[in-house]
Formats: sequence, C-alpha cells, structure tokens
Amino acid sequence: MDRPEDRLALIELLERDGRTGRTVDVQHWPLTLGRALDNSVVLDDLHVAAAHATLAPDAEGRLVLTAGASDNGVLVDGRRLAAGEQHVLPAGGALLQLGNVRLRLRLRGEVLAPERRLIFTEHKPATMALQAALLFIVMTAQQWVSLDPGADFTAWLPLLFGMPLAVVGWCGVWALVSKLFQHRFDFWGHLGLVLPWVLAVQLVESLLPLLAASLSWPWLWQLSAPIGVLLLALMLRAQLAHVLPQHGRIVTGAVTALALAFGAVSLATLHRNTDRLSRAPYMSTLPLPALRLGSPVPPQALVDEMAPLREQLAQRVRKAREDDAEDSADADN
Amino acid sequence: MLMAALRRASRALPLWAACGLTVLSPCGQAAAPGEPVRAGSAAATAKGPGGMARPEGPAASAPALPASAAQGGNSTATEPPPPAAVSGTGQRIYERSRPLLLQVRTLLKTQDSQSSVGSGFLVTPEGHLVTNYHVISQYALQPKRHRLVYATIDGKQGALQLLAFDVVHDLALLKATDPALLAGRGSVNLAPEADALARGARIFSLGNPLDVGFAIAEGTYNGPVERSFLPTLFFGGSLSPGMSGGPALDEHGRLVGVNVATRRDGEQVSFLVPAAPVRALLARGREAKPITEPAYPEITRQLLEHEADLSKRFIAQAWRSAGHARYAIPVPQELYMRCWGHGSPQAVRGLQFERSDCEMDSRVFINGSLRTGYITVRHEAYDGSKLGALRYAERYSASFQNEFMGTNDGARTAPRCVERNIDRQGLPLRAVICVRAYKKLEGLHDLSVLVATLDGTQIGVQGRLDALGVSFANAQRLAQHYLDGYAWIAPKTGSR
Repeated sequence: MDRPEDRLALIELLERDGRTGRTVDVQHWPLTLGRALDNSVVLDDLHVAAAHATLAPDAEGRLVLTAGASDNGVLVDGRRLAAGEQHVLPAGGALLQLGNVRLRLRLRGEVLAPERRLIFTEHKPATMALQAALLFIVMTAQQWVSLDPGADFTAWLPLLFGMPLAVVGWCGVWALVSKLFQHRFDFWGHLGLVLPWVLAVQLVESLLPLLAASLSWPWLWQLSAPIGVLLLALMLRAQLAHVLPQHGRIVTGAVTALALAFGAVSLATLHRNTDRLSRAPYMSTLPLPALRLGSPVPPQALVDEMAPLREQLAQRVRKAREDDAEDSADADN
Repeated sequence: MLMAALRRASRALPLWAACGLTVLSPCGQAAAPGEPVRAGSAAATAKGPGGMARPEGPAASAPALPASAAQGGNSTATEPPPPAAVSGTGQRIYERSRPLLLQVRTLLKTQDSQSSVGSGFLVTPEGHLVTNYHVISQYALQPKRHRLVYATIDGKQGALQLLAFDVVHDLALLKATDPALLAGRGSVNLAPEADALARGARIFSLGNPLDVGFAIAEGTYNGPVERSFLPTLFFGGSLSPGMSGGPALDEHGRLVGVNVATRRDGEQVSFLVPAAPVRALLARGREAKPITEPAYPEITRQLLEHEADLSKRFIAQAWRSAGHARYAIPVPQELYMRCWGHGSPQAVRGLQFERSDCEMDSRVFINGSLRTGYITVRHEAYDGSKLGALRYAERYSASFQNEFMGTNDGARTAPRCVERNIDRQGLPLRAVICVRAYKKLEGLHDLSVLVATLDGTQIGVQGRLDALGVSFANAQRLAQHYLDGYAWIAPKTGSR
C-alpha cells in the first residue's frame, strides 16, 4: 500500500491451519462481505451468503458488524450473530467466521503482542557427530560385554544396523510431525534433540546399577529404572515442544499427566503383585570386586534384620484374609 | 540361575522328587494318561526364570491316585486260608478284599459331578475307612462346598464323614455317615507284622484306576525308599491315578501300605505309605468328631510339627564339601536329599560353571497347586577365565538376577527381602534373604536365601537355599546355618 496512514483496517483471511493467506487493506467504511461480486470483499465459499455481513461505524465512531441475510450467521469471537443482528466490535479487532471462512479483522486500536523469541534450531554438526559417536561407543561396549569371545560377526549386525535405523526412523517420524504442524521436515532438529537424551538413558542404565552395587545402596538401584523412564518422558516433552513451540505449557502438562498416569498404573500393578513399589525383590547387580565400597556386616546381623519381616508379612496375611472374607461375604450374597 | 542351557539339564534326570509321597501321580510329565481321575491338583507352580529357581513344582506331581477300589481281593487278613476253589493268589486276594474296597468321591455340594475320585478301604468293622489326604483335600479345605461319598464294588453308595487326617503322610480317616450300610464287610488287617516282609515279596495293590473299575495290580515289595525323609515304601508295580488311597496287601491280605504316588518317568516305580502311620491315625482319630470346618489350623499344626523336626535334623547336619578349590560351599548331606551335578561343556567359550542341585523327595501335598514341607539347596560355581573380568561380571550379575523369589499368589504373600554385603570370616558375600508367608496356613513361611561371593574378578559361586513351609524362627535358623556354610577353603592369602 502506498499510504499506510490511509489504512483503516486490515483483514487477514486465515487458511485451514491458522496461517494468514490473503490480506485485504480497508481504506473506507462501510465494508461488505459476501459471495456476490458487488461486495467489497468477495468470499468464495458455498456457506457464505450473497451479502453476508456489513462493517460500518456508528454515530459514536464504534465499528459495528451487521449480519446480512444469512442462514449461517456470523461468528464473532466465538459468538453467533443471526441474520440482522448487530454487534459492536472491540477497538482492537476481532476474529470472524463467515461460513467456513475465518478471518481476522485488525483495527487501529489493537494492542500488538510482543515479539516472540524465535526458537533457533541451530544445527551443530560437530556436536551431533560427537554425541552420535559417544552413543555408538557406549552401545558397542554394551554389546561387546554381552557377547562371548569370538562371537560370530552376525551378532554385531543388530548394533550396526538396528541402532542407527531405530534412531533415524524415530527422528523421521518426528520430522513428519514437524511437517504436519510446521510445514518443514525437520529431521536434523529432532536428531539433535534426541541424541543427548538417548545417550543419557544409556549411561544411566549402564552406570547407575553399578554405582548402586558398589555403594551397596539398593534404593538407588531400584531407582535406576524409573529414572530411565523419566528421561524418556523428558525427551518426549522436548520433541513435542519442538513441534509445538507455541504450546509449551500444554505440552508440559500433557507429558506430565501422561507420565504420572503411567507411573501410577505401573506402581499399582506392581504393588498388587509384589506388595512393594519395585519389580525386583532385591538388588541383582553385583559390585565389581575392585569397586566394592562400604563395610560388610557379619551374617548374624543380616539374620537379625529379618526380624521385622515377620510382622510385615503377618500384616499382609491379615490383609489377604480380610479381602478373602469380603470376597466370600460377597459370594454369599 | 543361569541360563537356558542349564535349565534343560535339571529335570532330565530321573528325580522323583516332586512326586514325593504326596501323590500318586505324574511326576515328570503332567499329561499322564491318568489325568482324568486326578484329584483336582494341578501341576505345581512355575519355576523361576533361573536355573536355580525354587523347586516349587518341579517334577509336577499331580495327585493322581484317587480312583476307586474295585476288584479287591480278599480283604481281611484274619480270615482262614483261601478256599481251594480259588486258584491264584491274586484272585484270592481280590475275592477277599472285594467287600472292603471303596471308591471315595469328592463331589461339589450343589451337583453330582465328581471333582475328584480315589480309593479307600475299610479298617474297622464300624465303618472307618482310610484313604489319602490328597483324595479328600478339597473337602478338608472347603467342607462347605464339597461332600464325600463312597461307592462299593457291588454298587452301594453312601455319604462319608472326615474324622481325621495326617497331611504329612498323606492319609485320611473317614467314616460312613450311616455305618450300618457297610456293616458285616469286615476290615483290612492292620496288625503289625511280626516278621518284616522280605524284599522281593509279592504284594498286591488295589484300587480303581482312572475310574475305570476296581482292579488289582501285582508287584513286588522293595523295602523303604532310600534317602526319603518321610517313611515311604517302594512298590515295584504299576499304580495309576484313581488308585490313591487303596490298600497294598501281602499274600495274607495284611496291609503293607497305602497307594500314594508313582513315577511317570520310570516303569513300575510306585510308592506306598507304610502301615504304621495308618495305625497311628486310626488310633488317634477313631472317636474324633467329624470335620466340618476348613482344616487349615490342623494342617498348620501338623506342618509345624513336621518342619520343626525337619529343620532340627537339617541344622544338626554338618555341611558336606563341594570340592571347590577356593570356597567352602554348603552342600547338604544326602541322608534324605538327592544331589545332582551338572557342568557346562568343556569346549564352551563363554562362562564355565558347575552346578549342584540337592532336593528332598518328600514333599507334603496341601492342595492341587501347593506342596510344601521340604528343603532344596543349590549352587553354581563359575569360572570366567575365558571371558575376562568385564564380561564375567556381566554374566555373574545376570545369573544373580535370574532368581525367582515368587509373587503374591493364592497361597502365599509376595516375598519380603533383606540384603547386605556380609563378611563370612573374611570372605565377602552378597546375601539376600526373602521370606513369604502362607496366607491360610498361618505361621508357615517360605524361606529363600541367595548368596554370591564377591571377591573374585573371574571366579565365583552363587548358592541358594529354599525351605518351604517353615516357622519364622526356623527360617532364621536355617538362614544362619546356610550363611555359616560359606568360607574360604584356604587361607585368604592364597585366594586371589
């Protein structure tokens, strides 16, 4: 537009995904909207009436929307105006829907949202290569340990092909999700996100149990599995936030809710089967002889530690009996 | 504890372990032909993932014997010598025992379908009869839902009452609700034998196999089963499910024992409960009031008596040497246990191991899915010299992880465990002690003690003791006893 000061308003026609398509400068009122050719803005949609709506200032200078002869009416900021009804628009503008056409009306009185920070997905090939190499080393080490000496080369194939394919496949799927929401196939962005998390999970899974065993801390050992799950949940959150940067809170809330629900269900199931909140009844990683810390106790001390189990078990038995009694009472009824 | 290869080996051997005296039935393969008559017991529970896992249902013995007694021979021992008209001894025994044999059926109260059948025989002229506990276990545990009836060879039927049982020896004493119906039939001669039966003597087992019809099976008397904690007789003849509870008689019609179990992995290897516990049960229960409430308290009392004896005798034994160069490993004496050894093939590239499984044959049948009252001791000695320290450590841990401690099930609670690094006279060990409690047999527990040596970078031993159905105090004693079995074999200086 040559003279921005002449612009009274701007109409942005929104596309299906919410992005702005066509824009129309408004230089004078009234403005008519509809499917007929004599409208100021012609809307090509079968659900729009020939003269669907009119915008014009009233005596006090406020902009008023009048719904035309339309069966569908007009939605103004989510409120429906039937044919002939009028509505005074806010000074900043409004979101309108006529038929299937959504449009944003921006007026001079609008308060602009502050500039949003761009989330840079700066690709750092060197960092990514380093992380990938580290991951490969960790997994190679794990595979090496699990194979007997002189194992056939085919035993390495799952690592050589399976792991890269899995990572590429995962990032590819997420890139497609990015394509859906952001119109870009952001493979490298997702790869950069995923690598450090996967690396962290691998390190936690291989080192934490050893550390717990060395320190003789069963509680830490029991925690290592939940920590792994937590890391994966965080990775999921990071990827979702990357795809939907404008919905950070919703993503965090959803992932948290999901993690909590998953955790609660797992714990409830575990507790039903084991009467405890962990799957393994005891710490099953043994310390490396050179890394064995802490001082051992005499056998007698361990046997003495059994004593409280008696009451704990008796309690479980009483509980089971109560449940049983309830069941049989139900059966009798 | 370890890995698949090991597991395979463990049951291929002819253990009759699980079949213990409890039930006449399918040790080994569950799908015995006799299954239809089974007394409602299912094969016992699963083994753990690990080779060393607890032997809960190892040889899968199902209570089979319950069948009915059919073609008995002559029953009473006191009777005069056989009439000349009858030819063979078997015929004579059968003819004489006919009136004394019964089929014992457990029915659901609300319908006439039998949920278990076994055999039984009259032991008094007043209508007392004896069968196996496992034949009537459903009634003993749920008397409100079941009823007991008998059927004679000549087709008479009547209701039965449960007076007493001996769960450890797997015996039950019943009485006809209306003894008049069984009057005049006589009884099997329970008189103590003046002269012990010679091995090789012909004996005759009677019962109703598979509910097919009353039958007599001839076999030989082979004396007591060796290394059995509970007195059990070895009958060299065939027993089938449904014959449980039937009598085995000598040529004079005197009671030798009561049919109770058989081995499915052998031929004509069957077991009898000797006559002495039968006499004891009769003496104690003859005048007892009928049992109408679930018998858990009495079962518990008998099991506690049994486990007290077992634990005391077990702890009194010294451990045997395992022959390991570096460690003293607790291996039980083979007085009433059998130990089987197994090793990895020489050529194997990975972890080398030698394994020992010691199990008791005697197990006490409680119900179809629960056998208890026994001890097992296992260990595996590892040599990782072909692996290197890191790979060895991974496999050693994996083996330690591979132990199943049980979960919350119908009979027992989930395990509660304590664990520590312990120091056994300078030998560092990781020890885990897990205890489960029986839900209905209050006061009984299952103990599992798991031990791994921690000093070696490429050598180690992991061992496990399981004691099923013990009091908490004895669980503690057994745990202590087992842990005390570990030590250095040589001065520590020579260890590394």
